[in-house]
Amino acid sequence: MQTPATTKNPIYFGWYVCAASIFIGFVAIGARNSFGVFVVPMSDEFGWNRFTISVAAALGVLVSGLVQPFMGQVFDRTGGRKLILISLVILGGSTIMLSLTFHVLFLVFMFGIVASIAQGGPALSNTAALMSRWFKRKRATAISINSAALSLGGLVMVPFSMYLLQATNWRIAWVGLGVIVLLSLPLAYFFIHERPSQRGLYPDGEPEPLTEAGGGRNEATGPLEVETWKESFKSAPIWQMAASYCVCGATTFILSVHFIPFAIEERGISGSTAATIFGYMMGLNIIGSLGAGILADKIGGIKNWLALVYLMRGMAYILLITVDSVAGLWIFASVAGFSWVATLPLTSSLTADVYGLKALGTISGITFMFHQIGGFGSVLLAGLLFDITGSYTLPFAIVGALLFPAALSAFTIKERKYSTRYQPAVPAPAGGD
Amino acid sequence: MAFFFNFILAHQGDSADPELLHWIKERLDGIFGPEPWVIVAIMGFAVLAIPVSVGLLYLLQANRRASAELRVDRDRLDREKAP
Repeated sequence: MQTPATTKNPIYFGWYVCAASIFIGFVAIGARNSFGVFVVPMSDEFGWNRFTISVAAALGVLVSGLVQPFMGQVFDRTGGRKLILISLVILGGSTIMLSLTFHVLFLVFMFGIVASIAQGGPALSNTAALMSRWFKRKRATAISINSAALSLGGLVMVPFSMYLLQATNWRIAWVGLGVIVLLSLPLAYFFIHERPSQRGLYPDGEPEPLTEAGGGRNEATGPLEVETWKESFKSAPIWQMAASYCVCGATTFILSVHFIPFAIEERGISGSTAATIFGYMMGLNIIGSLGAGILADKIGGIKNWLALVYLMRGMAYILLITVDSVAGLWIFASVAGFSWVATLPLTSSLTADVYGLKALGTISGITFMFHQIGGFGSVLLAGLLFDITGSYTLPFAIVGALLFPAALSAFTIKERKYSTRYQPAVPAPAGGD
Repeated sequence: MAFFFNFILAHQGDSADPELLHWIKERLDGIFGPEPWVIVAIMGFAVLAIPVSVGLLYLLQANRRASAELRVDRDRLDREKAP
């Protein structure tokens, strides 16, 4: 362990791990989300229609959703460092290879399968598990910084790709994005370490965690801590979190796809104003995510914050449906924006606190899959109901109504009973995490 | 079926929504002018500054830590030498 002299001021190494994973997520999400920018130039050159190019994107969405639990399992078994490094090499390489696209099947294979599988390595469910090992008291904060960075990554990297494409051509732009992904490798190599004990540290950079009685090194364990992901699904909290997370996916995806058309067609505003409101909402989600994580760590009661976030979003949906004006849309965006990504650090942190770290990658991967299923279902439902009723009001009302049981589901999680944060400490060998 | 494929493309990222992209582009053009290379250079520099600054910060901290350790060792030696 470090001496008092050396621990006077240094930044805890966990924050470097956090910074590295932020940058990795930032560039990885950028490479993926930029796909939409390439649709028009690639379609123009090869004469593909929207359907053809959508197959690659559709496969990508499907593969990245399905592969996540498996990537989580690899993460849990290997510790994560190797998985993240190898995934980055493959993601960077496959992004560069996209510049050689000569046939739609090549695009489908390279983007829809190779890049999408590789994307699962540094995915947020895994980096959240990594953060959970390095942080305990500041766990939600570290995860919230990671998730906020992903939102920012999309907002920065996608316009960057757009300008790179404008300045060069789609082949060079793919190479540029791939090179940026590969540039994250040195940072990953030096700073992504699996657990604090590897560097002789304790979580949060504590010199030596104290018991409530002021004794020596102690570790609290929760009654539901699991060795394998299967065990977790025999208890209620994971189902409560997964169910509410599924509603989270449903209520965010539906807006991602249908908010701008709704604002233009049903509220009669211009595309530019609709985009401004949407951009404002995306910006607020960064603040919301950070705020939720910090508040949860400082004040405690993660499940209460989670319930509050769902409740806030539910209120926002009521505003969206009932207030028929531009002002209503702005108020909606203000309320919904704060809650957009805030569920992620809260759910990930609570999962780690309840089920421990041994199978966290897999468990997070599975709950993420629930989130994606909810999202997929809601978008299909909205499209279907829009075709039948000619309005988005009914689908928005249905998914919005689900937010209230989701809030109740989160609120009734017995956090004090199961979370390690509230367990009495028991003696454990020093140097562990 | 159309909405399904629109979803797939849109789901590539909230920030990849065509309307939102157009809006972001207008804002950036207003700030930096419409020359794409200028924006590519500025944004590229900003992105690459992240890993560089993390690395530099770590090196600075490592140096500070090394000198603190050296000071501790020197103090200990001085104490041992003292009668």
